[in-house]
Amino acid sequence: MAMRDLVNGGAACAVPGSSSSSNPLGALTNALLGSSSKTQERLKEIPNASRSGPGPQFYSEDQQLRSLPGSELDQPILQPGAQGSEFFRGFRSVDQNGLGAAWDEVQHGGPMPPLGPMYEPVQPTFEGPPQRVLSNFLHSFVESSRGGIPFRPAPVPVLGLSQSDKQCIRDRSSIMARHFFADRGEEFINNQVNALLSSLDIDDGIQARGHIPGRFRELDEYWNESQAVMKPGLHPADSWAAEFNQRGMDHGGPDAWVQSFEQQHGVNGWATEFEQGQSQLMSNQMRSMDMQNLAAMEQTRKLAHTLSQDGNPKFQNSRFLQFVSKMSRGELIIDENEVKPGPVPGEWATEYEQQYLGPPSWADQFANEKLSRGPEQWADEFASGRGQQESADDQWVNEFSKLHVNDWVDEFAEGPVGESSADAWANAYDEFLTERSAEKQTSGVYVFSDMNPYVGHPEPMKEGQELFRKGLLSEAALALEAEVMKNPENAEGWRLLGVTHAENDDDQQAIAAMMRAQEADPSNLEVLLALGVSHTNELEQATALKYLYGWLRNHPKYGAIAPPELADSLYHADIARLFTEASQMNPEDADVHIVLGVLYNLSREFDRAITSFQTALKLKPNDYSLWNKLGATQANSVQSADAISAYQQALDLKPNYVRAWANMGISYANQGMYKESIPYYVRALAMNPKADNAWQYLRLSLSCVSRQDLLEACESRNLDLLQKEFPL
Amino acid sequence: MATTQLKSDAIMDLMKEHLSTDAGKEVTEKIGLVYQINIAPKKLGFEEVTYIVDLKKGQVTKGKYEGGGKVDATFSFKDDDFVKVATGKMNPQIAFIRGAMKIKGSLSAAQKFTPDIFPKPSKL
Repeated sequence: MAMRDLVNGGAACAVPGSSSSSNPLGALTNALLGSSSKTQERLKEIPNASRSGPGPQFYSEDQQLRSLPGSELDQPILQPGAQGSEFFRGFRSVDQNGLGAAWDEVQHGGPMPPLGPMYEPVQPTFEGPPQRVLSNFLHSFVESSRGGIPFRPAPVPVLGLSQSDKQCIRDRSSIMARHFFADRGEEFINNQVNALLSSLDIDDGIQARGHIPGRFRELDEYWNESQAVMKPGLHPADSWAAEFNQRGMDHGGPDAWVQSFEQQHGVNGWATEFEQGQSQLMSNQMRSMDMQNLAAMEQTRKLAHTLSQDGNPKFQNSRFLQFVSKMSRGELIIDENEVKPGPVPGEWATEYEQQYLGPPSWADQFANEKLSRGPEQWADEFASGRGQQESADDQWVNEFSKLHVNDWVDEFAEGPVGESSADAWANAYDEFLTERSAEKQTSGVYVFSDMNPYVGHPEPMKEGQELFRKGLLSEAALALEAEVMKNPENAEGWRLLGVTHAENDDDQQAIAAMMRAQEADPSNLEVLLALGVSHTNELEQATALKYLYGWLRNHPKYGAIAPPELADSLYHADIARLFTEASQMNPEDADVHIVLGVLYNLSREFDRAITSFQTALKLKPNDYSLWNKLGATQANSVQSADAISAYQQALDLKPNYVRAWANMGISYANQGMYKESIPYYVRALAMNPKADNAWQYLRLSLSCVSRQDLLEACESRNLDLLQKEFPL
Repeated sequence: MATTQLKSDAIMDLMKEHLSTDAGKEVTEKIGLVYQINIAPKKLGFEEVTYIVDLKKGQVTKGKYEGGGKVDATFSFKDDDFVKVATGKMNPQIAFIRGAMKIKGSLSAAQKFTPDIFPKPSKL
């Protein structure tokens, strides 16, 4: 692109969307120097186009400014009414029902100053000190009244009237007008007064601003309420629910919401305020910027646009382009052939903020603006909107509020009894893990220890038996694991491993080991009994019954009395009857009494079970596991005191009997002696930290004695701390 | 006795006995509410067995509540899950969150439903 093109208006320079000029540079020159006759005419059309006195009327001459589209300042400069109607007419074509209707409402409802007279040419001009100007102006008002002709608003220099002056003029003029035009209609009077007031830059908004904000408390409340809807998170949940419900009723459907939004922001509030603010801005701050600069700015904007579209990098980086674009942004202004820095756009934004967001607060302004549009009307509409539309959307809100939300919230806040929520979550995770490993075990798969020092031991079976005899159950389990890994078909290895786990209070592992033992040796009576016992402990009645019946069938002496067909449909009563029969056949066989005792435990006939075990104990007084069985049965039939002495017998015979220690703890806990139960659990866990049941019971007991401080030690399985805290 | 018994039956029988002891009476005093517990063998809501754990009178009964009026809270469990909760293996809150426990009725009553009201079974 050549400079020649810019001057001559070559095709490359055509500004898109611009009809005014195909020669941007020429247009700029015209704007700057005022040499274009067209522009000159336009400038002449503007009354008082000097920098000294641009009143609001100056901007009401919107013809001129409309020719400068796109400038960021041009729209607000327009007289509020004119610009507003233009603005909303545009909307009306798009949306007939919504904004258009709202606009109509505003047009008819609001006490807008009549626009007509203001656009007519102006007769007098006023010059001089403010006092004289004002008095002249008022005289002309009075004179116009004599002739009974409509008063023509006139441009008046800014008079620097204070708020109270304006208030005073307004009040006096309306009273006077009523005297002058007593014979005319109310409308005429209003028109006259409004014409006068608008000339003096006194409007209803200013008048309203003079009022005490307290008068609009109701509106402020509405505002706050609507704010609350927009930020529900600020409220506690219960009040939120209530408020939401209330608001739901108020708003009805989405249409109502749109309406109220328009009422709040779109039609009455925002637009008007913006317009007003702009005209104030004009009169206050933008006074110094004259028409010429605005025109120049617009032209430079076009020029800059044209230049920037050219691909030539020389042009892109040229100082000329920078200059032009700065001018187009108003950063530079031409003043009497001098280039000066203009007001920085950032300042404009700050000013805007000060004007709109600063004090008086938005709510106050909002309330005030409302008055000029008729607050009663607004409130009425709001209220009527409330009643009319209760759409289906509300129904869920109502239902929601019917639920005991508050209860739930309160209780949730209270938290679980005796546990902080963090603990609860930690527990939950722990439980989840335990549960998962438990699920693994339920399938009957034996879980081997990760680190087993006995792997590679020359004689793990012998070592395991020795350790078991010494009562080192956890060690014995490891040695026996090493054995069954080496010899998976070693039934005795699996059996002893199962017994070890049972004594270590781990029935899941016991069952898994015993099942492997049973695979290797299906008719082993000890294995069948152990499986029956472990399943009884796990409350798995049917399975327990199956193994106990298997014991009978595989017994060399009693197998004959067990009909094989019974295995298909096992009933406890039948099995118990058969065992009773067997015990009568051979009353000196302690094992039969033991199985009977287990059977009665299954059916929770504890008294019979106790009798059976006691009978067996007479025959086998040194069987520590039998003492434990007696104790457990007594405990389950709520004879905890007896149980404890039976456990004591068992522990005397086998001090490392983890199951008996754990059962001791249970017996104390079931008697409500939680404090006493804790050391027994801890003791059991010290011998077998893998006893999950004991951990759970310990946790419960700690909670019950309000030792939440030690729950952490419980979670981390810190036995040292627990043993120190609870020595036995 | 049928072989399709629930594990929970054992806990409930234990509970029944437990409530006659001093410790059980303490629980009754402390809670003072009536719970209904529905226990399903495999799937929630199917073939449920209903227990009333009356911690006002200190009774456990099978079947619908006949004490007049309403129960304070109703819980629904699967058999295994009830045992887990009653033996302290699963926290009731977590059971609820995981959907292993359904609650009807007063939530303040439900909050008092803790594992320590149930006696622990001892092991043979």
